[in-house]
Amino acid sequence: MNRAQVRLSRSAELHALVQHFARGESAHAFGDLALQIAEFQREYSPGFARLCARVGAPLSRIEAIPGVPCDAFRLSRVAVHPEGEDAARFATSGTTGAGHGIHAFRALETYRVVALAAGRAALLSGTDPVHVVALAPELGDPPRSSLGYMMALFMSEFDARADSDPRAPERWLIDEQGVKWHALEQASENARAAGASLLLLATSFALVTLLDGRDGRELTLPPRSVVMQTGGFKGKTREISAPELRASIASCFGISESHVVGEYGMTELTSQLYEATLPGSALAATHSGGHGTYVEPPWLHVLPVDPVSLSPVDPGDVGIARIIDLGNVDSAIAIQTQDRVRRTGGGIELLGRAPGAPPRGCSLAVEEYLAARGA
Amino acid sequence: MQASLVARRARLEPLLASARSLREANSPRGQQARERLIRSTGLSAQGVEFALARCLEATPSEAEITALLLATPESNTAHVLLSANVFVAAHRAIAIGLASSANVQVRASRREPEFAELLWSGAPHSFELKAELSPRAGDHLWAYGSDQTLHEVAKALPSGVTLHGHGSGIGLAVLEGEPDAPELTRIVRGLAEDTVLFDQRGCLSPRAVLVRGSAEFSRRFAERLAGELGRLEQQIPRGQLDPTEAAASTAYRDAAAYAGDLFEAGRGFVSYAENGQFQVPPVGRHLHVSCVPELGASLSELSPLITCVAFAGSARTAEQLQNQLPGARFSDFGRMQCPPFDGPVDRRAR
Repeated sequence: MNRAQVRLSRSAELHALVQHFARGESAHAFGDLALQIAEFQREYSPGFARLCARVGAPLSRIEAIPGVPCDAFRLSRVAVHPEGEDAARFATSGTTGAGHGIHAFRALETYRVVALAAGRAALLSGTDPVHVVALAPELGDPPRSSLGYMMALFMSEFDARADSDPRAPERWLIDEQGVKWHALEQASENARAAGASLLLLATSFALVTLLDGRDGRELTLPPRSVVMQTGGFKGKTREISAPELRASIASCFGISESHVVGEYGMTELTSQLYEATLPGSALAATHSGGHGTYVEPPWLHVLPVDPVSLSPVDPGDVGIARIIDLGNVDSAIAIQTQDRVRRTGGGIELLGRAPGAPPRGCSLAVEEYLAARGA
Repeated sequence: MQASLVARRARLEPLLASARSLREANSPRGQQARERLIRSTGLSAQGVEFALARCLEATPSEAEITALLLATPESNTAHVLLSANVFVAAHRAIAIGLASSANVQVRASRREPEFAELLWSGAPHSFELKAELSPRAGDHLWAYGSDQTLHEVAKALPSGVTLHGHGSGIGLAVLEGEPDAPELTRIVRGLAEDTVLFDQRGCLSPRAVLVRGSAEFSRRFAERLAGELGRLEQQIPRGQLDPTEAAASTAYRDAAAYAGDLFEAGRGFVSYAENGQFQVPPVGRHLHVSCVPELGASLSELSPLITCVAFAGSARTAEQLQNQLPGARFSDFGRMQCPPFDGPVDRRAR
């Protein structure tokens, strides 16, 4: 076998191991798999090899795996494989600014397995039928948004309807005119008529847009309906606090706040974290962190690190999140974010994004530069 | 010189004299200035000394002063809102205020109030230091700081006040072709000095280099520049970065190491990208060198941000750059932080 064939074979082997792990069928430990993937990426990703060489520590424990900064996705290709092997390319949304980055996937089965496993545990509470809709624009073809792709997966797999085509326009409740309130009402009625609950997948800014534009209208969703809320605001709407937004969502839809479930994900990752608030869900059965605390799935580990030294902080201290995601087989096993986090008994507390170096004097801060470039 | 210009010129003299006395290392005022500035700026002692020697315009030419007077509108009262870190900038900013009015009110940066106070102590009758500014209709306000600060100032300003806002920006170095060895040595040395001044916190500080040349030369240039910065740090150590600056430095370092070549440059870094990918590193003596096939596209997206350009290359390209960046100051390498004393350093239209 030539080098490319060896890489492909090893990649397939690692994907299979991660999928087994996510299904709870693996004898491997998390750390063992993470280190195997890190070694694989050091072998086939020159960028990661450079990063490892700069750090200089052997890849002997997960704390020694250097995190690839999110900015690297904007500056270069973060993948062990060439573009010709891409099965999907998801564009980063530009939290940190300009020049969207790309997270390239050689294969999507691992994404499918881990996203569905985590979503099922956090967003479904029983065996009752569910209808799934998204407060998001229609999925592009090919999909460029990892969030949109995940939403479509949930429509395909969680929706009880036999014809659950995730590309059906009525599933996507935002268009050029904004939120399709009437389509949401219709989706709610359809679910109620079928004896199903509604799972509404939404970003925070879409929810604020909906709440701001509803003109006093209220819509009581069917019993046991759930709203999955993800993401920040990114300057697209007015910002409101998480508790205020959650209370407004619950009030608007006539659901309990426990049925508004926060999700934390990013394009640079394959996996997601959720709040364990939904009564009856598998996640709530094993975790009790409440709102604001996000539970890592078994195939993902968050390491809070010091923002300057990048060394792990003491337990309970605030650091920035280095996220080790076994799903990132062909890209970056460890992602270094600028999100401030603290590990608590129940999971990971998100404390917002660390501010970039603020403008001092008249020197241009990096974030100002990025914003000026139109992100 | 017209009579009115003579009177306005006279208002500047006590300030210039105050600045001259601060520059004298052996005078009591000079010694006091150095002690206070080392504490307030975070720069090393050598960094403060280098900035005073290189950038404090204590002896501008008469031609420069005349240009400054002619470029400055007169006002009832001139208000000056200072920013931090490029401490010598207080001198030019107050001089512009004095060129505008006999009544000058200055609010120093809360983070770095020292230099304005030092200037005032040598020229106490020239201007007033205020905790807050209260401009009225007919007054002019010169405000220096981040774009966010300027936005907030503009929102809070009473009607009838003229705002002269000077915000964030970057310096840019541009090389076309491959200079000969002596010229290359001069360019590298000058660019390193421009970078070291104020630990790169000024809007004239170079942050990036565009090289229109071979990839091999561009990479060698980056490596050599890193070496020069490392050598210069032996003479002029970098000062302290605040925690957010240090964190930004770490993030830049690792992203740049992943994306391309990264050369250690003392406590800073020089990154190099062959693919033309551009980035603005954070402050702290970091530079990004980008090899670009042509300058036009690279500059078009950057043009609103660029306050200053140092260029080496053909006269034709120099002219094109000046047309493309009409608000930028053009200078030689090693002189990026020393623009003529003829008005605000930032000449971009706002």
